[in-house]
Amino acid sequence: MISFRQRYRQELLALSFLWPSLVILVALLVYPLAEVIRLSFYDSNLMTETWAGLANYRRLSGDPLFWQAFWQTVLFTFFSVAFHLVIGLALALLLNMRINSLFQSLARGMLIVPWLLAPTVAGMIWVLMLAPFGVINGMLNGLGLIDAGTTISWLGDPSTALGSVTAMNVWRAFPFFMVMLLAGLQAVPRELYEAAEIDGASLARQFWHITLPQLRGVITTIVLLDSIWTFRAFDPVFVMTGGGPAHASEVLPTVIYFDGFQKLDFGYASAQAVVMFVVLFVVSAFYMRRSMSTAG
Amino acid sequence: MRRHSLASGLGTDQRRMLLNAMSYGLLILAIVIVSLPILWMLTVSVRPNLEVMRIPPSWIPAHFTLASYGKILTNPRYIVVFLNTIFISLFVTFLSLFLGALAAYALARFNFMGQRVVLMFLIITQMFPLILLCIPYFRVFVMLGLYDTRTSLIIVYLTFTLPFCILMLRSYFMNISPAMEEAAMVDGCTRMGAIFRILVPVSYPAFIGAGLYAFLLAWNEFLFAMVLVEAWENRVLTMAIYSLMAEFVTDWSGMMAFSMLASLPLVVAFILLQKFMVQGMTAGALTS
Repeated sequence: MISFRQRYRQELLALSFLWPSLVILVALLVYPLAEVIRLSFYDSNLMTETWAGLANYRRLSGDPLFWQAFWQTVLFTFFSVAFHLVIGLALALLLNMRINSLFQSLARGMLIVPWLLAPTVAGMIWVLMLAPFGVINGMLNGLGLIDAGTTISWLGDPSTALGSVTAMNVWRAFPFFMVMLLAGLQAVPRELYEAAEIDGASLARQFWHITLPQLRGVITTIVLLDSIWTFRAFDPVFVMTGGGPAHASEVLPTVIYFDGFQKLDFGYASAQAVVMFVVLFVVSAFYMRRSMSTAG
Repeated sequence: MRRHSLASGLGTDQRRMLLNAMSYGLLILAIVIVSLPILWMLTVSVRPNLEVMRIPPSWIPAHFTLASYGKILTNPRYIVVFLNTIFISLFVTFLSLFLGALAAYALARFNFMGQRVVLMFLIITQMFPLILLCIPYFRVFVMLGLYDTRTSLIIVYLTFTLPFCILMLRSYFMNISPAMEEAAMVDGCTRMGAIFRILVPVSYPAFIGAGLYAFLLAWNEFLFAMVLVEAWENRVLTMAIYSLMAEFVTDWSGMMAFSMLASLPLVVAFILLQKFMVQGMTAGALTS
């Protein structure tokens, strides 16, 4: 007879190391998720809770502000990620050329700096630069791109607000792509390029037929990760525009924040958060499939 | 030969030299463009505020002054915020590394039922919308009397630092042979002793990398800090900067000096430890 202790020796040993982290993470993530799902069926402020059935979800499906924020979140995410990828890849390719290694690490270090700043700080700098009296209008005036004396209120105009926030977010987060893709490029075996060069393949052909296929795995992973991170990002929009003007730059996290913490309408905020979670979960499922097949 | 080459008139060496010269040029251009906002923060922070709204804006301050820095560094209200941020970020980092090392050890060294489920759970936690978590955190912390305390921030920052540290340390541990730990245990060392005297010291690059990243995330966090903390003496930098925007409405020079001081520690740390950070970022995202 094998005793319980012997039969599950590995499990018990593993658990004795894992339990503190597991207890903390279940308390901090699983319980709150269950609580938000429960709350989404209630009409709730801080003091009272009354059962509301599907009322919050019905309200959400017909709420134009929710859908406006939803699509604006999608746009914000799409353009942020697309520019992160293009700029990050271009700079990674440049850094991977046969350049002086000291210059390479210096350039990489300087290009990473935006990514180290808090989104709050980065947003604040851009608010100042984009102000009507700011340096961006000043430079555009100087270059003759806009008429001298006119100023654009980038964050105050509904047609430019979301684009301006996206620009800040592109600037702040492209270094993540650059660093990851540079690491990917450095892992491509040099022999592949040498063989291609002997065959007389042009640089453009080498890029399409060697570099891109070799980077496919890294690109898929970071695009998925960045999509998730950008879709849930709260700070850039909140700090720069607060979702305005007239909700023109509103995204899901800011809408949920205002409903929950300004109007104290926790039930409705929860319902919107649940929908947002479901969307993120679907994207995450793709990421999971990738990670699990490699992490094993 | 070289039918496809773009500049077929030039030899391979010349072509390569031209390409390299172009790379240097484009990289320098990129550095200049990317650094503009940071230079703007710097130049605004060292000019008197009256100059900030002058049109057209100038890159060189007409009057150079460090008054804004002096104003911040001599004000105890601001010093408290710096100390809070340092304390909370360090505490969260060490806690995540300690708990993370134990969990990572279990995941790397044992083969147990439910291992895949734990891994899957850890990866999924990184996908949670933080705004969703805010709602129950706020309500529970009010109930527990932890609302508006620094402790609440230390607890909730673990939601994103701990899973990341576990995954990154695990992938590093898996590349280290267990032979040394086993030998130490044969010699009478306890399992805990083997972990902390042998495995942890040889894994120091992973600890520096994961630790820096956890520190960065905690230092820069804003949403939880805004929702869970109210009183000024409990605030952290990101929240203080945000509330100063309203308070200081026109003191942009002070705001930028504050932003410089808030960013400087991270930038210095990361420049010194660039190598570990790059390893950390790469391993953290790829997890395998």
